[in-house]
Amino acid sequence: MTANSTSGSTILEARSEPTSLPSNRGVNNLGYRPWSERLAPGWMRWCVITEVGVKRAWQSRWLRRMMLFAWLPAVWFGVGFFVWEQAALYPEWRQILQPFLQGLPQSPDFDGIRDSIKSGNLEESRHAVWAWLLQSFFRYPQAVLMVMVIGVISPPLISQDIRSRAFLLYFSRPLTRAEYLFGKLASLWAYLAIIATVPALALYLLGILLSPNLGVITATWDLPFRIIGASAVLMIPTSMLALCFSSLTQESRYAAFAWFAVWILGWFTYVTATSAEALKAGNNAYMSQAERMQAQHDQFEIKQSPWTHLSLYHTLGRVQRWVFGFARFEDVAVSAAILAAITLASLLTLYRKISAPMRV
Amino acid sequence: MSPLIDLIEITKDYGRFRALDNVSLQINSGITGLLGPNGAGKTTLIKVLLGLVRTTRGSGRLLQYKLGRQNREIRAHVGYMPEDDCYLHGMTGVDCVQFVAQLSRFPAVEALRRAHEILDFCGLAQERYRTVETYSTGMRQKLRFAQAIVHDPPVLILDEPTSGLDPEERQVMLNRIRVLARDHGKAVLLCTHILPDVQSISDAVVILARGKVQVADSLAELNRPTMPSLEVRLLGVADRFVEAIRARGIDIEVRTTGGLLLKGEPDQLAPEVWKAANTLGVAVRSMTPSRNSLEEIFLNAVRGASQ
Repeated sequence: MTANSTSGSTILEARSEPTSLPSNRGVNNLGYRPWSERLAPGWMRWCVITEVGVKRAWQSRWLRRMMLFAWLPAVWFGVGFFVWEQAALYPEWRQILQPFLQGLPQSPDFDGIRDSIKSGNLEESRHAVWAWLLQSFFRYPQAVLMVMVIGVISPPLISQDIRSRAFLLYFSRPLTRAEYLFGKLASLWAYLAIIATVPALALYLLGILLSPNLGVITATWDLPFRIIGASAVLMIPTSMLALCFSSLTQESRYAAFAWFAVWILGWFTYVTATSAEALKAGNNAYMSQAERMQAQHDQFEIKQSPWTHLSLYHTLGRVQRWVFGFARFEDVAVSAAILAAITLASLLTLYRKISAPMRV
Repeated sequence: MSPLIDLIEITKDYGRFRALDNVSLQINSGITGLLGPNGAGKTTLIKVLLGLVRTTRGSGRLLQYKLGRQNREIRAHVGYMPEDDCYLHGMTGVDCVQFVAQLSRFPAVEALRRAHEILDFCGLAQERYRTVETYSTGMRQKLRFAQAIVHDPPVLILDEPTSGLDPEERQVMLNRIRVLARDHGKAVLLCTHILPDVQSISDAVVILARGKVQVADSLAELNRPTMPSLEVRLLGVADRFVEAIRARGIDIEVRTTGGLLLKGEPDQLAPEVWKAANTLGVAVRSMTPSRNSLEEIFLNAVRGASQ
């Protein structure tokens, strides 16, 4: 067989050769040899853990399916950017924007947008509209997707290491607990960045490309930083909590159950409590169309209610509103403190659980 | 030459339980057998050496690195094969070895090449492409050994490396350890319950019991009997031979196992044995200077600790 042969049969023969390797023959049988080559930098160790975590997670068929559809919401919001920028350029497109006015929350934060659409001066509220679109992107589709993606990836990340006693394998190497933890977290963050940060930045870039001039960049320069901030708010407390659940058990399914239970129970508690409050306040049979939309919106959006903090989804949302400039920090300080407390408590639990097998 | 491992009065308490009690120890290159009954403190000692647990008191050094202060450097220079089954779920054998090589800072491609090289050395053939969960006990043992040596560490800590292996594989594993120590200058700390393994390949022995070092010496020194003597085995009845030896003024003892124990310097006794055998026409099956058995040494050490 020659190397430059191109016939189909020859290629098949060449490919079949390695499979006929006898089982007792070594692949690279050189005996034991000392090693004196150059080593990779020490800080890369966590990358190895991340790489393995990403590869192992990708073996999940469910995750692959989710990732396939993860960018679909970005297309929807991309249409939003497109329509807004077209309306800014061509007055006839402004008619299309009118129905969207009803979708805006009845909040003073959005009065400026309503006014600019009515007056036809769209340039003024570009920043607010882009920020609102991006916040909505983070807040609704990607937050739900985040819960599902983390629910698939995180449960086995530490629980399987506990079950297979892989800790001894990790920590008998020059690896610190912080590197181990960071490596595990980074494998979660990699997927979350793909479903949230990267499409949000792509949306921003799309907005820049659709806008009439590059002067838009000076008006919206802060949005990429807000996207990164919102990503951090979305990723850090949630991934810490998910890994914390994973470290508490040897059974991945218990960790998955705890993860979904926190979100679903929190959501229903919030909706039930706030609906009861609304009923107490008045009969919704007499609500106008706008009031009905506002009521539906309130199920997702955040009201000033003490029940908000029972729902992790709404607590996250409050802080993300502040990140995108739709709330003052004083209004979300409690939510931010709750997220910080969850992060800190999860981190302490993780350190304790990771250290536990070593202490025995 | 300074010892590779030097421990000075190491004490480790787990609450009220004292796992290691004032352990002072020097371990040199070659193979050192670490023996002890269950709960003697062997695993704790290994964890102390790896910096996985903090000592309550005492200090120590492994190579030029201080215990407790330079743990990362120590772990970079130590290959540890744990007794417990530990693996990475869902990964193939070659992936596992490549992964631990990368944790020891091998670049990815070199880690893969080295993983194959080491798996060949350890006798894991095409099984390396199967996930670890499907491995037999022996295969997992070989995999753990491969993971311990993949980064070419100068010091190896092997916890029960031959448990779960069939007799043939056990011999092959011991040979691998011997090759690493003899041909590649590795210092090996061999922690095991199988005394013949230690007897066959170790240069020195440390016996721990109740957290204390009961015995620490070279195997040659430990095997040397307190009274020099010669063990002789004959073919057939030995009555006439015993009489003949006694007639030469040599103290001889007939053992229940059928052997004869001649007390005195082996070099001086051997010619007398040959003379008597030649005169009486007796066939000598074996003649060896007697030595203390490791089992005896171990039992004495453990009994001494419990008294």
